[in-house]
Amino acid sequence: MNFQLDPQDELFREEVRAFLRETLPDDVRRRSSIGMHPPHEEDRRWWQHVLYRKGWVAPHWPKEYGGTGWSHIRCHLFEYECRMANAPELHWQGLRLIGPVIYTFGNEAQKARYLPKILSGEEQWAQGFSEPNAGSDLASLRTSAVLDGDHFIINGQKIWTSEAQFCEQGFFLVRTSNEGKPQHGISMIVLDMKTPGVTVRETPMIHGAAACCEVFLDNVRVPKENLIGPLNSGWDQARFLLANERTASAEIYKARADLRRIRRIAAAEIKNGRPVLEDSAFARKLAMLELDVEALEWSVLRVLCDAPSQYPTAANASFLKIRGSELQQQLADLAVEALGVRGLRLYTREQAFDQLGESDVWPQYVPGVAADQLYLRACTIFGGSKEIQKNIIAKLAFGL
Amino acid sequence: MNFDLSDEQQMLVDNARRFVREHCGIEARLAAIASEAGFSRERWAELGRLGWLALPLSEEAGGLGGGDVDIALLAEELGRGLVPEPFIDTAVLCATLLEQAPPSQTRDSLLARAANGEIILALAHMEPGDRSEFETAPTTRAQPNADGWRLHGSKHFVVHGGTADYWLVSANIENQQGFALFLLSRDQASTAEIYEYTLIDGSRAVDIHLHDVGLSTSALLLEPGVAAQALEKALNRAMIASTASAIGSMEAVMEATAVHLKTREQYGKPLAQFQALQHRMAEMLVETDKARSGLFNALASLKTEDPRARRRAISGAKSLASRAALFVTAQGIQLHGAIGVTEEFSVGHHYKSALIYDKRFGDAEFHLARWAGG
Repeated sequence: MNFQLDPQDELFREEVRAFLRETLPDDVRRRSSIGMHPPHEEDRRWWQHVLYRKGWVAPHWPKEYGGTGWSHIRCHLFEYECRMANAPELHWQGLRLIGPVIYTFGNEAQKARYLPKILSGEEQWAQGFSEPNAGSDLASLRTSAVLDGDHFIINGQKIWTSEAQFCEQGFFLVRTSNEGKPQHGISMIVLDMKTPGVTVRETPMIHGAAACCEVFLDNVRVPKENLIGPLNSGWDQARFLLANERTASAEIYKARADLRRIRRIAAAEIKNGRPVLEDSAFARKLAMLELDVEALEWSVLRVLCDAPSQYPTAANASFLKIRGSELQQQLADLAVEALGVRGLRLYTREQAFDQLGESDVWPQYVPGVAADQLYLRACTIFGGSKEIQKNIIAKLAFGL
Repeated sequence: MNFDLSDEQQMLVDNARRFVREHCGIEARLAAIASEAGFSRERWAELGRLGWLALPLSEEAGGLGGGDVDIALLAEELGRGLVPEPFIDTAVLCATLLEQAPPSQTRDSLLARAANGEIILALAHMEPGDRSEFETAPTTRAQPNADGWRLHGSKHFVVHGGTADYWLVSANIENQQGFALFLLSRDQASTAEIYEYTLIDGSRAVDIHLHDVGLSTSALLLEPGVAAQALEKALNRAMIASTASAIGSMEAVMEATAVHLKTREQYGKPLAQFQALQHRMAEMLVETDKARSGLFNALASLKTEDPRARRRAISGAKSLASRAALFVTAQGIQLHGAIGVTEEFSVGHHYKSALIYDKRFGDAEFHLARWAGG
């Protein structure tokens, strides 16, 4: 075993840092650091284009499709540095979810049609998986696609489609057969979100914004070549897509950035005449979270470096999801605690992005903290709830 | 000991529960939040007509002279429906404070109008940088002159301050120990700078900058020395009422969540059949019950003459109930699944109210330390 970073990797890290220093303007950094949900759309698109031109937009993709050929560790260092420099978060669905599905399962025409615009960011992607009656039990989905000559006719409703209001394209799990097990009658189809019959409706959430949407599909005609992979193989692609990101749900980069934000707030806020950071009860809570984050980072590194484990990889992904999501909630709670009553104020995205009403009483570090806390109640629900993750662990690790 | 409700108390609870069920659904709440004030003036007047705003007020002051238990019972029911009108801020906190001022025409008329649901009162005590009323040592100054007083200073986090018709403002008088309490009407405060913002639960609060605002002699409600004591009494009542309200909120969350678990089906059966979720519901009840016992302890302490014992019991209740409310409401969201984080389901609103409850009047950490050190 060697637990040290390779000197070449250290040099790489320096190169990334230098690039970020030169490239990221202060106002973009400020807007990104607020952490609104959804983040600033123009900043994300701008940043994706910058990374695209640099050739760094998809570090985790194979080189032949536009990736960088970096090791897992370098991808990790890159993401870490981007987050700590307050770079905008890229849209997830294109680069992380459907892109790998298309280069793995798609035909040559599909790769040529979709991959370049996923990389450039010209097309962002909506993920149509969950339905009102198919949440944790995703395989029970009912949105149907029926072949009619050269087209599928799609009917149904999707919910929790993240940031669909900004998306040009969408990938949908649809029912193409009612034979056999429910999983075996599902296909994955991509479609242009401007196709007639597609209606996107924002879902107002408790943090005061719409981070996801409902998507209604009403007799939507989609060319049959938009099917990804063979008919009725959509469940395999969905599983691939969900398993492809083994460590993402740990949210280790956000956790590190959150710790920094908490320290900044707690150093500036005063309680009983002293910085909150020096309050013993607060300091103890912060120390415990810092320790947890440190341990989580090693867990991520172990998975990234394929450290041997007696438990299946998929169980590991579920550990990381549980620990990462719980930590995110605890970090957000502590950030609000540091702010005191001011952590009860809810800013609109416009107020936060445009620094409306910023003053000595309402300094730059206040906006976004409350919204993050509220939004993050969803992080133990979305992407496989905490309860489902525990079921997976019990089954995979122990055969229960 | 006897924990049974009297007939009058049972009637109060039944009436309030019916009112909340019939008028305080999620649509009414969303409409109130979307309005400029964050609540409905019509509903406020209605609460006045029902006599509920007069409940905390003594009979001498023209009220119904409800006891602390009655106030808690009503607050619990209003908490079930997350009634956004400022029952606790105006009818409990400010009215209790105002009632302790020496009787005068101004005082009596304000109390009567507040009890009728005609006006809103807001406490302007905290100042920039303060984390709670307990940590506030006002720096706002009141200078006497020939016409009365001139006020200078800044007030922070005045909940419902934007719509309030009157503010109760704490300020120091030169050469006197401790702060005094002044009455400032919005008409007199035309030169005050007001900065309004929205809180997570949709209610509004303001910061107020007072630059040389003139007040008449009669604006002094409570003299230095008695004001702080009066404020502690008012805060104690407000904390007890808000704790009761939080318990009502927890009850409502459990009720809605149990219904959801029985109705929602995944994997071919109702969620209610999954043991992990049954256990979570049980844990929520255990927490709620603990908070209720804390509340009873606090109510019992009001009968003692020992302010230290009272302070401890109330802080203990606040600390217990804060933690319970955050757990119960957050788990309510978790068991609802993603619909729980949308605005159209009540459970997310209950979570936000729990966060407000925790942070206002001193958070769980503050009260735990106060209980331990008490």
